[in-house]
Amino acid sequence: MLRFAATRSLQLVPLLLVVSLIVFMIMHALPGDPVALMLQGAEGGVASPERLAELRAQLGLNDPLLLQYGRFVAHALEGDLGMSVRFHEPVTGLITDRFGSTLALAFSGLAVAIVLGVPLGALAATRRNSWIDVASMGLSYIGASMPVYWLALVLILAFSFGLGWFPPAGGGTWQSLVLPAVTLGVSASGLISRLVRSNLIEVFSEDYIRTGRSKGLSEGAILWGHALKNAMMPVVTVMGLQFGAMLAGTVVTETVFSRPGVGRLVVNAILWKDYPLVQGCVLFIAAVYLLVNLLVDVAYAALDPRIVP
Amino acid sequence: MMASGLFRRVAAGLMFLACGTATAQAAGTLVIAIPANQEPATLDGHIDPFQSTWLVDSLMADPLLVLAPDGTYKPDLALAWESNPAGTVWTFKLRPGVTFQDGTPFNAAAVKANLERIIDPKTQSAQMKSEVGPIKSVDVVDDLTVRVGYDTPWVTLLDAMRRVPIWSPTAMEKAGLNGFASVLVGAGPFTFVRKVPNDRVDLKKWPGYGGWNSVQKKPGAVELDGVSIRWIGSSSVLGSLVQSGDADVATFLDPISVPDYKDNKAFQFYAKDQAGTGLQFVMNIRKPPLDDIRVRQALITGSDRPGLNTLLYDGLFAVGQGPLNDVHPCYWRGAETMYPYNPTKAGQLLDQAGWVLPQAGGMRVAKGVKNVADGTPLRIRMTMISRKEMGEGLQAQFKQLGIDFAVEVVPGPVQLDRVQKREFDLIYERQRSPDPVILDQIWNSKWEVPGGWAWTGFKDAAFDALVGQLRTVPDFAKRCEIARDVQKTIMENALMLPTLSDPVYVAMSPKVKGWETGAEGNWFYVNNVTK
Repeated sequence: MLRFAATRSLQLVPLLLVVSLIVFMIMHALPGDPVALMLQGAEGGVASPERLAELRAQLGLNDPLLLQYGRFVAHALEGDLGMSVRFHEPVTGLITDRFGSTLALAFSGLAVAIVLGVPLGALAATRRNSWIDVASMGLSYIGASMPVYWLALVLILAFSFGLGWFPPAGGGTWQSLVLPAVTLGVSASGLISRLVRSNLIEVFSEDYIRTGRSKGLSEGAILWGHALKNAMMPVVTVMGLQFGAMLAGTVVTETVFSRPGVGRLVVNAILWKDYPLVQGCVLFIAAVYLLVNLLVDVAYAALDPRIVP
Repeated sequence: MMASGLFRRVAAGLMFLACGTATAQAAGTLVIAIPANQEPATLDGHIDPFQSTWLVDSLMADPLLVLAPDGTYKPDLALAWESNPAGTVWTFKLRPGVTFQDGTPFNAAAVKANLERIIDPKTQSAQMKSEVGPIKSVDVVDDLTVRVGYDTPWVTLLDAMRRVPIWSPTAMEKAGLNGFASVLVGAGPFTFVRKVPNDRVDLKKWPGYGGWNSVQKKPGAVELDGVSIRWIGSSSVLGSLVQSGDADVATFLDPISVPDYKDNKAFQFYAKDQAGTGLQFVMNIRKPPLDDIRVRQALITGSDRPGLNTLLYDGLFAVGQGPLNDVHPCYWRGAETMYPYNPTKAGQLLDQAGWVLPQAGGMRVAKGVKNVADGTPLRIRMTMISRKEMGEGLQAQFKQLGIDFAVEVVPGPVQLDRVQKREFDLIYERQRSPDPVILDQIWNSKWEVPGGWAWTGFKDAAFDALVGQLRTVPDFAKRCEIARDVQKTIMENALMLPTLSDPVYVAMSPKVKGWETGAEGNWFYVNNVTK
């Protein structure tokens, strides 16, 4: 098991190198002079040739491309992703300052997705082809297909402005986390519930389930004691992917609910042409995504040792 | 080491979430909601180049003088000021008995330290360095007199100084250049509590404040317990926050929220215009079809701006006529009669320019146009970064004239890339300021350099000399006269398409009393506010 985890971890290294190369190339593939773009966007006055040259030197853009890439990787390995042009702060600090908020939102969003998705899928599978199945799957389709932006505004309208239960904007309190978590969770729950349903239906046709029933086990004992555990294997993978997506793709939710987070940071960095920050954020998000996938693989191996070679 | 640092910062974010109840505001705290796109990157206005940064700074650090709501400069930390006739030497007489929030004295040495920090290349001041200009010397004449010298006239210094936060030199030195943004010690009515990125800035009352800002009516500390500024990401949410009681004031409201507050006696509401260029589109006159003045004139006279305003914004915006909007003190009224809406005349101008309507119908095509193959359709692209509906409105109007008018909404970097490559026909360019110097920034071909704001390609030595005087003539009335001549020349050459000008909309709870908007719509004072 340890060997499996170590091997999978090592496989991350070339992947991260490829990601870092792609991220690095973004800056050089940009049309025009990135330094002029950065200064004109971030600085209101006319950028002097001296300032242009200074920033170019600061970013090391006068050096050969290979040297620049090597330096970027070396610094990134030390946790130094450069300085933000707009914030005048280290990129690493800007990201980590907001990552706690994003992490909290992703965790709570996933929790909502599981709490909604798993029972809904189980209910649909155990009442297959009944009106409950149709209604459950209908709900899951609605959840999955509702635009996040629209759902967020509806929730704010109902629970903030209407009932006054939760704040409509801002972070920092558990109350402020509820609506964003529900927004994210409802969307993800649709996928999870459909997956749980289809896997459960498949498991229900297995011999050991039939054996259990013939031995007189109740439907509840079969579902919770045997079927669900086995049906959850692929679902765990999807949950991991969903969690990674939530860490990287919460920008709409963060924007509507005015929450701090890495998603908003990267979008603002793009809008303000802060390329060191864009590079750093993309690399960081990619690394986190890969790490989450690694954890999912390891968890999968722990749940089903047969997949360990 | 690095990992533990990262862990601490992430953990701090999670702790902030867990300890949320500690964020509750005192009853006398004024909650102001502002669109998130105005959130400063750093709150150190010496570095960050945006009006919103200087506005937040003004709550913590009084400047030397203020632009009062009546549009005149009034004393703050300086009691008086004067320049020599040439505008090359400025002398400020400072207010005695002022201390910073850290207890250190405010004096001429403090002003010198602030100005020298701004112009120091290490500070990388984005805009303020341009605003205070090429300072040659800052001299401490005596403890309460400071003199700023230039080699060439710098007539816009007062407009710059009203925005320069005067920070405590002791605090600046102690915190260092990059650390000061998390300390922010000035001599303003509020002290800095904290900044939560993408969320809020919290300030609390400074009991030691002396009420030095001329706008303040009572001496001493302000009545509010604090101010909490919330950066709101969604315009729909922003528009409802005052109604729901989640904010006391919501500024920069989207026009769609205006009907909720306007004429609603349960709330206070006002609209304030922003002096500047308005939502203007400058024209690239380097290449066909806009290298022909008749085509440019056709666009201006063929656009029904009042119609657009009524159709899209219920007439709430101001109609643009020329390079400066009609609330600008140097506005040139001649622009109103130069290109009245006349689609027939616009069509004639296009015909004369060789862009004719095909007999089979459809869009206009070239016939004998210089450097254009006959049969080439008349296609003009408008590049904008927001307010797509306005572009589409113009598109519909120009379609009637037979112009294939394309509208592209692009992010800022793409807009600037288009400018750099000169790959545009009409492109959005806006500046806000009650000072006419913005005309020099946009129209003097001297600024047609990388990172500059002169985009049209119009070059005329006499015009450049004229517009350049906006940076050298000290007398404001005289500069306005020059600015009017400049606007006339711009419109005679039909170098830009005026559209509309959007005011700042502000909604307030009825319990907020004493709020004052600045002479510019995007500035306010809370010195007299109670709630």
